[in-house]
Amino acid sequence: MRLGGKERREALNPWDIGFGAALLVFALWALFFWFPADIPTGFFFINSVGREEPGDAFFPIILASLLVGLSVIQMILSWRNRRSNADVDQTGSITLSNVKFLAIFLTVVGVGLGLMYWLGPVTVAVLNAAGFLDGTYRNFSDTAPYKYLGYVAGGAVMTLALIIWAEGRVRPVAVMTVVAVLVVAILLFDVALRNVLLPPNADF
Amino acid sequence: MEIVFEYVMRGVMEVFFTADGAFDWLPLAMVFGGLMTGIAIGATPGLNGPFAMALSLPILIWVFGVNDEALLPILGFLIGIMKGATVGGAVPAVLFNTPGTPDAYLTTLDGHPMTKNGQGPKALKVAHFSSVCGDTVSDMVLFVAAPVLAVLIESILDLPEKGALIILSLSFMAAVAGSSPMKGFIVGVLGMLLALVGSTLSGNGPRMTFGIVELGNGLPLTAAILGVLIIGEVFIGLEEEVRKKVRKFRSAVATPLGDNTFAWPERRKLLPRIGVSALIGTAIGALPGIGTTLAATLGYDVARRFSKTPEKFGTGIPEGVAATEAANSAVSGANLIPVMSLGIPGNFAAVFIILAVESVGEFTLGPHVFRFTEIKVIEDYGTIINNDLVIAFAMFTLMMLANIMNWTIGGAFLRSLGILVKVPKSLMLPVVLLITLTAVYAQDGGFIGVWVLLIFGLIGYVLKRLDISILPFVIGFLLSPRLEEYIRGGYSASGGDGLFLLKSPLAVVFIAASILILVLANRRRKIPEEA
Repeated sequence: MRLGGKERREALNPWDIGFGAALLVFALWALFFWFPADIPTGFFFINSVGREEPGDAFFPIILASLLVGLSVIQMILSWRNRRSNADVDQTGSITLSNVKFLAIFLTVVGVGLGLMYWLGPVTVAVLNAAGFLDGTYRNFSDTAPYKYLGYVAGGAVMTLALIIWAEGRVRPVAVMTVVAVLVVAILLFDVALRNVLLPPNADF
Repeated sequence: MEIVFEYVMRGVMEVFFTADGAFDWLPLAMVFGGLMTGIAIGATPGLNGPFAMALSLPILIWVFGVNDEALLPILGFLIGIMKGATVGGAVPAVLFNTPGTPDAYLTTLDGHPMTKNGQGPKALKVAHFSSVCGDTVSDMVLFVAAPVLAVLIESILDLPEKGALIILSLSFMAAVAGSSPMKGFIVGVLGMLLALVGSTLSGNGPRMTFGIVELGNGLPLTAAILGVLIIGEVFIGLEEEVRKKVRKFRSAVATPLGDNTFAWPERRKLLPRIGVSALIGTAIGALPGIGTTLAATLGYDVARRFSKTPEKFGTGIPEGVAATEAANSAVSGANLIPVMSLGIPGNFAAVFIILAVESVGEFTLGPHVFRFTEIKVIEDYGTIINNDLVIAFAMFTLMMLANIMNWTIGGAFLRSLGILVKVPKSLMLPVVLLITLTAVYAQDGGFIGVWVLLIFGLIGYVLKRLDISILPFVIGFLLSPRLEEYIRGGYSASGGDGLFLLKSPLAVVFIAASILILVLANRRRKIPEEA
């Protein structure tokens, strides 16, 4: 929202100061909670000849401390510049509409990746239970068509859904493009290159 | 001088001959393939050179492996893409008035009016000729400047100074590459911090992994870089497509009319204009982080100011196209000066050259490369030689090969690509997402790469939306392990002096310059807003 007159001069850009505040919180959390719990050697350690050496926490602590200082400077700058950068539009921001887009986008990608991961194993499990197959997905992760099921279904759903969403309609050319891309990807990553695996087969 | 010539010749031979003396066609074929791919990618809206380099790298590594012999074919392909994409970007700008990149906007000013006047093919010929001229000039400067700069730097810099130089580069990039220098520098430091996840110098187990075993070897480098650079762009591009819901596709190209030849007399007349723009682009390209947009703007502006008929600029004249294309293409070669001489990438294409070099073989970039060690053959032992220098000259040879191919066949290929411009972004971006996911999964052998890709894509999206340049983040992420090595090594070498950085006058100068650059850049940003 644009502000006018006296109001405009007094306003503070929430994204400018918020950026500094968020980074400050992150850096403090890293210094006081993350690093102590997650770095086995400390700021210094004694090496095999008894000499004190910088430990694995040495550089992360320097960087996080620098981040604390820079975040504070950023917040001070935002405060001092409040007259000049009061208009949010000038510096960039994340709006509710951006968040909505991200939520839908990540849901579509999540559904696609979920299908990619689970469709093959679930199909094998069902066929197993019905007595058509004998073995877990691991036994069939290099056997067609099982090894392609998740990738093709998940990839097609994710890509087509995003195209339809972006274009607002279903076009035959979109379907054909997605099919062609999946075929090329299978030919390249599965047939031509023998030492790599398509998703999700390396995880089983 | 003799030793320089000897190394240059060995570099050239390295490209054309195998170890047993047979002619090696592979590097040539790879440069050709890369160049054609690059031109096609550059001509496709929504795609760019760094994207194609990013996707090609894992595939090339699977095909050729990671031994020393794989390096030149892989670099040949990447260099081909880098050069091809620079030229290809003119196609959508000239034919359809749709600049794929900000610098190509300047090409539309005269390029598209030429198309509307029925001179589309001629505009593409001018763009190609100027672009290749600019690129070649820039490469020549690179070949001379990088070794000289590297020898100078290697002779005066020790660990603290090298560490301070990385900090100076980061602050310079933050100052010039985004709208907010301070925020740019902060995200550079954040990138450095995130790069430390998993890996340790001491070998005492992983760090900062939240107990996730798969992160023990560090965050997957390619997935992280691709996430910020490519997936972040996919997020942004798709959001814009969703908002626009474009249903109508672009109109057809205006039919060529009249004379579309671009003969030598006309080319010669344009050469002074191209020369000036090429020098502007080269000077700007040598500074890390500035990029092609400023070069194109300055090139166009200088050409118009010094023209006898400035009023004709913007109406569809070859001079306008030539000035822009020569300037923005001259950036790409000079951008490799900081990479070759310092090991510090100045743009995204250089990031992928560094990634390739670090992933394949034992060659590393940096000032140490240009040590002209005396070549000695010792019986029963072998040859004492600086192999890194041979590879560096082989890289220069690959670049010249790409230029020659670009001069001879690039133009014809470029003019045949108008059809690619019609591929809508709404179709292209989801496909890019799927291909990137697949490539990252295959490279990292599991979903960990996919998660890292998406998380870093989200970081890229947020930075873009907040109008913060992602270049300092990527450079910080990439250079962090080396900076840690310098800082820890410098501290140990000083006998545990906490102020070791301030004991070196040169390091103090670099640190002071970093602070000064940030302060000045921040003040410069404030002034126009307050005016």
